[in-house]
Amino acid sequence: MTYYDYITSGEHKKYRRPAFDGRDIAAEFSAEFLPPEERMTRRFEALCANEDAHIFDGQKIVFMRTSSDFPDVFTPDEWTEIKKTHFIHELGYTSNVTPDYKRVISRGFCEILADERTNEYEKREINALMSVVEKYRAEAERIGRDDVYEVLSRVPWEAPRTFREALQFFRIVHYALWLEGTYHVTCGRFDKYMYPYYKADIDAGRLTDEEALDLVTDFFLSFNIDSDLYPGVQQGDNGQSMVLGGCDADGNDWFTRLSEICLLASGKNKLIDPKINMRVSKSTPADRFVKGSRLTAVGMGFPQYSNDDVVIPGLEKLGYSHEDAAEYGVAACWEFIVPGNGFDVANIAALSFPRVVDNVLHRDFASCKTKEELTTAVKKEIAAQCANITSSVKNLWFVPAPFLTLFFDAPHGDVSRGSKYNNFGAHGTGISTAADSLAAMVKYVIEDKTVTAEELTEAVDSDFEKHSELLPILRNEAPKMGAENGEEADEWAVLLLRTFAEEMSEYRNCRGGCWRAGTGSAMYYLWHASEIGASPDGRRKGEPFGTNYSPSLFAKTPGPVSIIRSFTKPELVNNVNGGPLTLEFDSSVFSEADAPEKLGALVRYFIALGGHQLQLNSVSKDVLLDAQAHPEKYPRLIVRIWGWSAYFTELDKPYQDHVIARQEYKL
Amino acid sequence: MDGKFDIKEFADRDVEGKVFDINKFADRDTEGIIFDIKEFAVHDGEGVRTTVFLKGCPLSCTWCHNPEGQSPYSEIMEKAGCVKCGRCRAGCSHPECQPFGRCLHACPKGLLRVAGQKTSSHALAKKLCRDSVLYEMSGGGVTLSGGEPLMQGGFCVSLLHKLGEYGINRAIETSGFASDEVFRAVLDECDYVFCDLKIADSAVHRKYTGVPNEQILRNIDTLRKSGKKYRIRVPLIPGITDTDENLAGIRALTSEDEVQYLPYNKLAGAKYAQLGREFKLEK
Repeated sequence: MTYYDYITSGEHKKYRRPAFDGRDIAAEFSAEFLPPEERMTRRFEALCANEDAHIFDGQKIVFMRTSSDFPDVFTPDEWTEIKKTHFIHELGYTSNVTPDYKRVISRGFCEILADERTNEYEKREINALMSVVEKYRAEAERIGRDDVYEVLSRVPWEAPRTFREALQFFRIVHYALWLEGTYHVTCGRFDKYMYPYYKADIDAGRLTDEEALDLVTDFFLSFNIDSDLYPGVQQGDNGQSMVLGGCDADGNDWFTRLSEICLLASGKNKLIDPKINMRVSKSTPADRFVKGSRLTAVGMGFPQYSNDDVVIPGLEKLGYSHEDAAEYGVAACWEFIVPGNGFDVANIAALSFPRVVDNVLHRDFASCKTKEELTTAVKKEIAAQCANITSSVKNLWFVPAPFLTLFFDAPHGDVSRGSKYNNFGAHGTGISTAADSLAAMVKYVIEDKTVTAEELTEAVDSDFEKHSELLPILRNEAPKMGAENGEEADEWAVLLLRTFAEEMSEYRNCRGGCWRAGTGSAMYYLWHASEIGASPDGRRKGEPFGTNYSPSLFAKTPGPVSIIRSFTKPELVNNVNGGPLTLEFDSSVFSEADAPEKLGALVRYFIALGGHQLQLNSVSKDVLLDAQAHPEKYPRLIVRIWGWSAYFTELDKPYQDHVIARQEYKL
Repeated sequence: MDGKFDIKEFADRDVEGKVFDINKFADRDTEGIIFDIKEFAVHDGEGVRTTVFLKGCPLSCTWCHNPEGQSPYSEIMEKAGCVKCGRCRAGCSHPECQPFGRCLHACPKGLLRVAGQKTSSHALAKKLCRDSVLYEMSGGGVTLSGGEPLMQGGFCVSLLHKLGEYGINRAIETSGFASDEVFRAVLDECDYVFCDLKIADSAVHRKYTGVPNEQILRNIDTLRKSGKKYRIRVPLIPGITDTDENLAGIRALTSEDEVQYLPYNKLAGAKYAQLGREFKLEK
């Protein structure tokens, strides 16, 4: 069995065993009145003591978690107590940050242990980790893997000399960061900080590009070994995002042969981790978009693109230095964060735009005689919601993370208490539902006067049981973002996003940082949709919003170009908390050889028009089957039939079945 | 000339229905009827293209996959899923609904739509021009398809000419069935032509498409001599066009051309039911 087969079949899990066997360590720690740092360190030490070394046939980059359990270090009662005086984000542990790997890898643990700034907890965790390295070294010797033995004799004790040693070093610390309890541990600009090691090997003639590709492919597998043990909303929601390309602080383009090797390795493995992001700009050469599109064609939904022309100035507007902004990467999903000195909490809250509209509809709309009056009411409501959001987070606290701190500029000696940047980010959900609703309210009530505010409100409140004749008009004919007649809705989106950013910029958070406004939704597109009933855009009660920054699920758009045109109208430089526009394509779009060139041009168009972030999906058979069972989820799934394209969900079942059958031999 | 519709009836009329010489349309804003505009059409020529589907076709190919492109008049299409609520038949006063006897704005499930929108060539060209940056980035442009675009020759000439003025690359997908004058006039305004040659034998051609192929072959000859970039396309219809005999015949007629064979797809009949018609080839 090859290493790849072990991982993809899950066979490797048979080596796992519990470290604590049901022991309630939180209760033990509590009984001893141990401080949080001590608890974190003891758990880490216990896990390391339990870890076993396993090296698979042919595996080059080793390390796999074998402890199957991961108990909390606080008891439920203690958490209740902590929450009385603190805001606790998600699980309470550090998450969703980009460590500065260079800070550790370029030194090695020998030097870090000798550094007087390294504290006792950090030293204990390093020593515990080194004991696991020793187990692997012994195992490598036992099975005669001299290559692994040699690499581990060098790293992570000392700084790497070769590309392989650097990859192994990364793997060990990435493993350890998760093992300490940080989750959504992102990779940052991997191709940039790893490049010197790659380049040195190539220059010295020690490594060929083929060997580098083999190494990176092997290394990428390591992101999929332990991932089922990681916490997340869904399997796969583990934040192992990696950023390739982009400029440096001087504006130089940073896309190397190594960046390309990473794209190829990702396409070769066809696994969901690491999640590839590409930084691009309007000066990025066309062929790079083609390379990205070749990966899109593989059908994993990445690369996700971000636009340096928008994100860097956007971060600078929020107070990041130019040098730090230029190093940006993405957090678990899409939030733009900086490595090594950004301890931002980019997903701490969310503004529901449809909620804003719903409040205005019920409270102010009847007295709004003009569009201007409606605009004023909407702005006021956004201001009120932003005040609520920003006052809801007080006295934020995270469980300390000694090992993570090694990778950060941590003025308090512990990164969980903050770093240079301590900003909070808020998603902005349901933008199209809100903008479409406002456009409909203006068109039918204020301008055409074919409906009164009372009638519209009654219709919405009764889920269109009353005034049911309004439903087809509002749903199928009213202006919609991304649709042919969407200009009025687009204008509202511009206003909503601008107001959101302006209002958030008025506040400082409890750690002295700023508030960042975004366009993402995460799971909020379902949560927020269930909070309100129907909406004036013809969305019925219980129907979700579009995900992230996307058209409404029932907007009839002429295609991806119209969507791009519509969604690049807002000044996205103000909304760099992130949140991508998502476009879906059937994999049949990629049937011809020049398809990546064409898709690449579409992405370039998005970037040229000032879009901030873009996600593209080539859809597979599983998705088609899901689309057949749940057509409402896939209104824009395009399938190629013959001389024409169609929306999959608009086809009758026999034809859908055929498209699905066709997917089988295309894979 | 054979065919369902007299091509002279449509090819050279302007926005007011006045008949003009086909060669005088270049600057004349002309009304046409289209049934779809597809963005990011990746199978219709070089680069990223937007394809405009013109309504009306003098042919009636048994395998036609765009049946709503056949009639040169607007028609109503209804997706499956009607729950017979009767709202669309309750009567309404919208002028746009009157020709169909059903209200287009009433279906709670949004199942009704009209195939066929009248549009001015200049207004359409301006709209298509919005994405000229994308066309330029990708080496793409606009493709006219159908239906048979040449059936609205005057509209084609006017639209293509205007697109040319905007610097947009222009392609056309045609059956080649049009008068010499219309074919030449449209050809003059194109940068790339996809011309079908479905069946080599004229009688067989007539049996399956409703028209003979002599005029098509003559136009293909005009195309060859024009110096324009072109490609001959052959749809491979099982038992009809993909026979050894037909393919040999086509090879003999196209020995000097670039030929592309388009595999047939069973999904071709998807839209017949929506028009309340039967897809004969399915039998």
